[in-house]
Amino acid sequence: MRYEVVLGERTMIVELEALGGLLTVDGRAVAVDIREIRAERAWHVLIDGSAHDVTVLSPPRQDPLRLQVGGVEVRGRVSDARTVSARLTAKASGAHTRVELRAPMPGLLKALHVREGDVVDEGTGMATLEAMKMENELRSPARARVVRIAVRAGDKVEGGALLVVLGPIGTAVEPEVGQE
Amino acid sequence: MRLTKVLVANRGEIAVRVIRACRDVGLRSVAVYSEADRDALHVRLADEAYPIGPAPATQSYLRGDKLIAVARGAGCDAVHPGYGFLSENAGFAEAVAAAGLVFVGPPAAVQRRLGDKIAARRLARDAGVPVVGGTFEPVADLDAARGAAEQIGYPLILKPAGGGGGKGMRIVATAAGLADAWRGATGEAQSALGAPAAFVVEHFVGAARHVEVQFVADDHGAVVPLGERDCSIQRRHQKLIEETPGPSVDETLREGLFDAAVRVARAAGYRNAGTAEFLVAPDGSFTFLEVNTRLQVEHPITELVTGIDLVQLQLRLAAGEPLPFARADVRAHGAAIECRLTAEDPFAGFLPAAGTITVVREASGPGVRLDGALVPGMVVASEYDPLLAKLACWGVDRPAALARMRRALGEMVISGIPTTLPFHRATLGEPDFVAGRYDTGYITAHWPRETVLGEEAAVAAAIVAVLVSRSAASGAPSTTDPAATDPAVPGAWARAGRHEGLR
Repeated sequence: MRYEVVLGERTMIVELEALGGLLTVDGRAVAVDIREIRAERAWHVLIDGSAHDVTVLSPPRQDPLRLQVGGVEVRGRVSDARTVSARLTAKASGAHTRVELRAPMPGLLKALHVREGDVVDEGTGMATLEAMKMENELRSPARARVVRIAVRAGDKVEGGALLVVLGPIGTAVEPEVGQE
Repeated sequence: MRLTKVLVANRGEIAVRVIRACRDVGLRSVAVYSEADRDALHVRLADEAYPIGPAPATQSYLRGDKLIAVARGAGCDAVHPGYGFLSENAGFAEAVAAAGLVFVGPPAAVQRRLGDKIAARRLARDAGVPVVGGTFEPVADLDAARGAAEQIGYPLILKPAGGGGGKGMRIVATAAGLADAWRGATGEAQSALGAPAAFVVEHFVGAARHVEVQFVADDHGAVVPLGERDCSIQRRHQKLIEETPGPSVDETLREGLFDAAVRVARAAGYRNAGTAEFLVAPDGSFTFLEVNTRLQVEHPITELVTGIDLVQLQLRLAAGEPLPFARADVRAHGAAIECRLTAEDPFAGFLPAAGTITVVREASGPGVRLDGALVPGMVVASEYDPLLAKLACWGVDRPAALARMRRALGEMVISGIPTTLPFHRATLGEPDFVAGRYDTGYITAHWPRETVLGEEAAVAAAIVAVLVSRSAASGAPSTTDPAATDPAVPGAWARAGRHEGLR
C-alpha cells in the first residue's frame, strides 16, 4: 500500500508491502525496528541502529497529526488512509454495506467524475481533491452504486467531510437529508 | 513569631511550589480548590485541602473572605498568596492581617505605595531613580491623554495605573492612532478591572530590554538585591523566557540597577520579596518601570544561581526573622534560564488552548528543574492562567545553561493540547538568541521560525504517521505487535528491510 505523507513542507511516499514485503520511503528500502510505547503514545524507531523517538501529540483521529521527533514538532497528513480503510471494509463485508467516502484532508474538490445512480467498479476515480498542492484521486473501494453525492465540484471541503456515499448495486439513490 | 501552618491561596504550579517550601521547612500546608481543581496536584500534595467554590476564579480563588475563613477554620497562622489572583491586592493583605494571620508578602501599605503605577513613578522619581518620561498624574480622558502626548512625544504607551499583566496596554505610534488606542485600552482595562481606570501615559522605549532585580527585605531595615533577570522575550507584554545573568548586563549596569532597586524598596518601606522592573536602552541607560510586590513566576532562575530558596526565605521574613545574609554575601554562580510552558498555540498567534493533557514526560537530569503541576489526564480549563510548567536549567556559564535547556526541551513531552514547547525549541537554536542579541521586539521579529527536521528523523516520523493513521482508520487500537491485526507488519518490514540493508 502506498501512502503520501506530508510532513511540514515536504511530501514523502511510504510504501508498505511494496517490492515483496519491503518498507520503502521515497523508493528506498528502509531497515526499521519499531516499538510502540503505548502508555506514552510514543514510537521508538531504529533505522539501521540510529534511534528516533516519535511521540504523537495530537488526540486520536485529529487531522493533521502532530508529532514530536528529535525535539522538533511537525504536523503530518497521511492521504489515502481513509480510502484504503473503506476498501478493506467493503471487501470484508462483501460490498453489501453502505460506505461513506470522506475527504482525507481539507482541500478543494476540483472535479466529480460520477453522478448519483452510477454504478462504479473497484478503482473507478470518482472525484479529484486538491489538497496541500497535490491532486488526489478518490477511487471507489469496490463495485458499488453511487447513492449520494454530498458535494459539488468547486466546493472547499474540510478534512473528514462527507463526499460520496456508495451502496450495494441494488440500493436506491438516497433522498436529500439537508445539510450535514 | 513562629509559623506552623500556611494557607496556600493559589492553584497550579505556584501552589505546588509553595507547598514544597512549607514541607522543606517543616510547616504544614493547607490547599484550597475550586470545583474544577479537586483532582489537581496541589490538592494532592498539601497536608489539608478545602473547597472554596465554583470554577470561575471570581467565585473561588479571588474570594478573599472564603480564603480567610478556610485559614482560620484550619488553624493556619499565615497565608501565602503565590502570584496572580490576590497576591497584589492590598485589601486582601489588610484583611489577612486583620484576621490575625501573617500575610507572606509586603503589607497592604507597601502594596498601595507601589501597586498604583502613578504612585510608584512618583516614589521612584523622589528616590532619585530614573523614570521613563511620562505622566505623574492620573490621565482620565482622551483630552488629558492628548495633552500628555504632546508633552511626551510619540511613540508612547498607555498603561492602566492599577492594572498588571499587560491588560489594557497600548503602544501608540503617532497622534493619529491615539483616539483608537485610548478607546481600546480603556475598554479592555474596564472589563479586566471591572471599573473605569486611570491611565499612565509614558514614552515608549523601543528596542529596549526588560531587566528586573529580585530583592528581599526584612522587618529590621535590611534590603538585599539577589540578582537581575532579563525578561525581554515577551509577547503581548507576557514573558516567555527569562535568564540570569542578563546577557547585556555588565558590572556597572548591574550595580546601577541593584542600587536603584534598593532605593525604591527603602523608599517604599518594603518587606519580604519583591522585584523592581526596569527598561534598559541599547546605550545601557535604564529607567524604572514598576515593582511587583510578590513572588515572580521566574524566581527559580535566581534560586538556581544563588542557592537561595526564595519561598523559604519569604516564610522566614514573614515570621519576622532577619535576613540571614548581607549584600556582599550573595554570590551568583553560573547562569540559569527558564522557559514558560503554557497551554498556548505558538502556531496560532499564541492563542490559549483548553483541553485534556494525555501524556506528560518530564525533562530531568543534571541542571534541570521543572516546576509544574502536570498530571496526565488533567483538564486545562479556560478559566485559569495558561501556565502549565516552568522548565529552568542551570549551567556553569550561559552556553552550558542553554545547552542543557535544549536537551531538556527535547526530552519534554506534553501531548493532548498545543503548548509553547515548539517556540522554545526554535528560539533556543536561533542565532540571535544564542548570541544574547535580543530585546522586547524579539518574538515579532523572529517568530514563526522554520524548524528543520533531519532526514532520518523525517523518515521515522513519516513511518509513524502512516502507522497511526492506519490504526485510526481501521478503528482498531494499535498494538505493540501489529502482526496480530494486520498482515503488513513492522516486524516483517524490519526483517525484510534489514535484509535489504545488509546486502
